[in-house]
Amino acid sequence: MKPKPNPPKVAVCIIGAGASGAAAAKVLTERGIDVVALEKGPWRTRETFGGDELANINRYNLWPDPLLNPRTVRTSPDEEPTVDLFCPVPQMVGGGTVHWQGWLPRFTENDFRMRTVVGDLPGATLADWPISYADLEPYYSKVEWAFGVSGQAGANGFEGPRSRDYPCPPMPVSRYAEKFHLGCRELGWNSFQTPQAALSRPFNGRPATVISAFAQQHGDPTGTRSSALNVFVPDALRTGHYDLRPDSYVREIAVDGRGRARGAVYADADGDLVEQQAEVIILACGAVESARLLLLSRSGRFPNGLANGSDLVGRNVTFHEYSAAVGVFDDPIYAWAGGGYVSASSFQFYEHDESRGHASGGHIAAAGVGIPLPINWSLPGRPAWGPEAKRIDRDYFNHSMAVAMVIHDMPQHENRVDLDERVTDAWGLPVARITLKPHLNDLAQGRFLIDRNAEILEAAGATGIQKVYIDRVTGNCSHQHGTTRMGDDPTSSVLDRWCRAHEVDNLYVVDGGPFPTATGANPTLSIMANAWRVAEHIADGRGAS
Amino acid sequence: MTAERFFDAHQRATIEAAMARIIPTDDLPGAREAGSIDFLDRYLAGIGSIYARPDGSGFEVLAGKRAEAWQRRIDAIRARYVAGVVTLDRLSRASFGSEFALLETSQQDRILTEVERSEGGSTGSGEGQDGDAPPLQQTKAEIDLGFFGLLCLHTRQGFYADPIYGGNRDRVGWQTIGFPGPTSLAEVHSGRYSTLAWFAESQPEHDAGAGDEA
Repeated sequence: MKPKPNPPKVAVCIIGAGASGAAAAKVLTERGIDVVALEKGPWRTRETFGGDELANINRYNLWPDPLLNPRTVRTSPDEEPTVDLFCPVPQMVGGGTVHWQGWLPRFTENDFRMRTVVGDLPGATLADWPISYADLEPYYSKVEWAFGVSGQAGANGFEGPRSRDYPCPPMPVSRYAEKFHLGCRELGWNSFQTPQAALSRPFNGRPATVISAFAQQHGDPTGTRSSALNVFVPDALRTGHYDLRPDSYVREIAVDGRGRARGAVYADADGDLVEQQAEVIILACGAVESARLLLLSRSGRFPNGLANGSDLVGRNVTFHEYSAAVGVFDDPIYAWAGGGYVSASSFQFYEHDESRGHASGGHIAAAGVGIPLPINWSLPGRPAWGPEAKRIDRDYFNHSMAVAMVIHDMPQHENRVDLDERVTDAWGLPVARITLKPHLNDLAQGRFLIDRNAEILEAAGATGIQKVYIDRVTGNCSHQHGTTRMGDDPTSSVLDRWCRAHEVDNLYVVDGGPFPTATGANPTLSIMANAWRVAEHIADGRGAS
Repeated sequence: MTAERFFDAHQRATIEAAMARIIPTDDLPGAREAGSIDFLDRYLAGIGSIYARPDGSGFEVLAGKRAEAWQRRIDAIRARYVAGVVTLDRLSRASFGSEFALLETSQQDRILTEVERSEGGSTGSGEGQDGDAPPLQQTKAEIDLGFFGLLCLHTRQGFYADPIYGGNRDRVGWQTIGFPGPTSLAEVHSGRYSTLAWFAESQPEHDAGAGDEA
């Protein structure tokens, strides 16, 4: 049998069609540049999504199936790794944005200079970013306006200067958001409606977002939420320059004799192995999978993985960690309304404050408890079964809420993603192995924030308040960063300030991998803004040549 | 119906009796009235009802790697239930001289507590969790659960999942906890389902300014 011929070479090949890959594709194709996108997962359309808690939360309808796409995790190299669905993100066209709620706060000015702000923190590898808030600000606006973000400019008292208002007013106030605002008001703390990837009113030819109970962790059958799938992918397709190939699993980035990236070797939808050659290759697989792909791409020139002469690929990985204080109210909260995440936020304890005795802080916000739908709702300490379990379900399902946070976890050299030596995925490739131990600062910061969260609940009149402190990082919020740090110094970073590999001049990474520090905020707005910035730079460079 | 059954009559009666202790019937319906056993028996019957079609018109037909993964998972879970029934009966005979399904409910509770402890669970753990409490927002991988963890998980799923999966009969699970829920999967799929009525009663006014600028 003849091998299948390779597809013709293209200007740009993007690996991944999630938040960052689709954002880059939109920008490049709208500049008239031909893009081939290779997406590992399927291309699902809105007709395939629905309001089915069992399928979406419990049966891997959108989440990766751990039997097909496992990862392994350990806390140190001395330990045998265990198989775990660590920090999963849907692998499909649209990526994590397919099933997200889409909290889209901006990072603050200090997020880009954390080393300068905090100084030397023993055990951590804090670094200033090679770009500033001002560098990214125009792209925040571009994404907010292309996407349709609902929020209120100036409402977050800790936000950096912005060149433009939000395109849509904030989302309606849920009862859990109302409680959060009340608690913050009582305490004298700033709070604001969480900026969201949803339309509070019709925008740009799109109808207002339908506010369902099946939101966070569910796909959107109405097509009205703002996501890479609903916005950037259609934008790119409209140009006629976007060749999006789902079910295309890239196994390796091949290099040419000069050590440049030549093409992506992938199993196509028929399972045939072909190579898509390109002048420029952009990785947009998410920080874990992009690092894995680089490490899988070994060659004589790059024996430790592509662009990994520094041994930094996969290191300094950060994951945030989501936890909360929870409480119950006499009056109903209906935390499932809006899926539990049409919320209110505060950056009151986001910025670094020396007097707290730990570095930095994080975004805190109102939420349902866990996934506040019947099967998956629970309260900490609820028994697994019996009359008391049933009583708790009955009495508190409609009356409970969380004030939640993500920690700004510290980057550490020994925290890393590499390839597992034993476990392979369903396609026979070594899976990502996570080696991770939280920094003491992460735990102290988590305790501090959760104590503040409990105070908000108390000030709002909650009872039965429980604090769920973090004692380990489980990757439970699907945020991932740092595996391909950007920086000006090739000995301490993988990518330059344009997210181009120091060692491979036609290879870029545009997901969360380039972020030198995790920050304490939901990263995807910044990931998309940065991808837009990089894509524009690539397009400018091509125009000049 | 036979195509939607896995258990034999004895297994079915045993698991149904156990489920009735996981979510007991009181002044409100429990697992028995919701038909949690029907939900589970259909789940274990094969891979034909893993995912409802999102418009409620039937079930997805799985193929390829996805089908293989689900068959592996179902096979593993079946084996745990088959062994679990044997364990329940063995412990029941040893302690009370009779098979599990015929015991008094208080005796059944003692047997279930014993099984739960043997799996390392404590009554303080969350639903479907054997051992330490779950991080918020995550569920444990189903295939990692032992018999008792699966029993709790599937009882709950059969009580609270959309009725299309064979449990939550007449939506009694949702009524028990006051979840109004959509009338059908089709209501959500078509975009008619909204939860705005359960938002805060007072909403701030916003300018209606032009939002159509690109």
